[in-house]
Amino acid sequence: MEFLMIVVSIVVVVAVAVWLFIARQGDAEFEFKVEERTKFIVEELTEKTATFSCKVPFMNKGSQGGTIMDAYPRHLLPCEQYDGVEVSSRMELTTAPRTDNYFEAVIFTKGTGGTVVITVKFTAKNGDIKEALGQMHELCVDMPIDIVYQIVARTPWYIHKTRMIMTCGEIMSAIQAKSVAE
Amino acid sequence: MSELELRPVRTRILTDKDNIVDMIAKYAKEDVGPDDVVSVAESVVAITQGRITRPEDMKICFLARILCRFVPQEGSLSSVYGMQSAMDAEGQWRVLFAMIIGMLAKVIGKNGVFYQLAGTQAALVDDVTGTMPPFDKCLVYGPHDPNGVAEAIKQRLGCYGAAVADVNDLKRAAVLGVSEGLDPKELARILIDNPFGNASQRTPIVIIKNYAKLEQKGQGGSLSAQ
Repeated sequence: MEFLMIVVSIVVVVAVAVWLFIARQGDAEFEFKVEERTKFIVEELTEKTATFSCKVPFMNKGSQGGTIMDAYPRHLLPCEQYDGVEVSSRMELTTAPRTDNYFEAVIFTKGTGGTVVITVKFTAKNGDIKEALGQMHELCVDMPIDIVYQIVARTPWYIHKTRMIMTCGEIMSAIQAKSVAE
Repeated sequence: MSELELRPVRTRILTDKDNIVDMIAKYAKEDVGPDDVVSVAESVVAITQGRITRPEDMKICFLARILCRFVPQEGSLSSVYGMQSAMDAEGQWRVLFAMIIGMLAKVIGKNGVFYQLAGTQAALVDDVTGTMPPFDKCLVYGPHDPNGVAEAIKQRLGCYGAAVADVNDLKRAAVLGVSEGLDPKELARILIDNPFGNASQRTPIVIIKNYAKLEQKGQGGSLSAQ
């Protein structure tokens, strides 16, 4: 009986020690700092399309390294809200520019991070993008964009979303700024 | 006078639909002579053998969640999926045993015991990000039967020899499999500067030109890349 108690005690002590070690070790924790993002600017403006981009910084603020396995923007503009444009979006690292909307898995050690560029393209269904975006503004339609990212680290993978809002006012301001610049 | 030359061969992205020997014949056969040794990157051999898995398809055991915590972050086994893949390949009790002995060995100042005891796959598993797209989101195991692969390449191409190598930019080179008669350590020394380049260069094959000529001239003990 005494021997059993010793064995059980050792197991408990080891389990508590491992638990404390893991708790103290922590894990990766990524944050996309949407509140620090740049304003959208117009990248390209044609009769039918308008392409905007903005930059969003992010950081691994956790205590361990972690991998962003995948990341992409999910724009949300239901036709019930506004049906005048088609939207496409993509996201890429500023350090690894590409146009295929493929996010190559990348490791970030603790305390490091980077910046992503989010590109949003509107295509007018009626053929006139300025008119279509003008109507969107008149209807006060803001478009949420979720930054969706899949993380794997010491713990099993998970998917997280951070929401930013592309406001109709910001869209119009960007178009006006483009017009002034030209 | 013939000199040793390392000639990388560019290919398309190879997948599990490809046969590695067929692909080497397709992309490198015209450049390969009877005095040459053909080396191929181990991760690409493994991919063509289908030895890849997605984290999303894996079931994680309790032990993997715990043990990965004790591996330094630089190692592939520091992620829960890297650890689970090593356990799937080598057995979880073997990995646990290796971890306990490895820790005890470290206490007395001996490093590397874990990888010696945990099995070859524990050292060869590449975690996600370890290879280029589209396999950057997969774990890649070590290749199956690298000696057999090397022998098959030699037979198919009629070259002096062939090797399956694991080389990186950190000046680490290991030759996992060779055709008969080749010295893995000598080949590792030749490949130490990673002539395969990084993944985006897509050069998983390196032809070591004139290897046999130089070896026959008695320079086998001091062959080095030019």
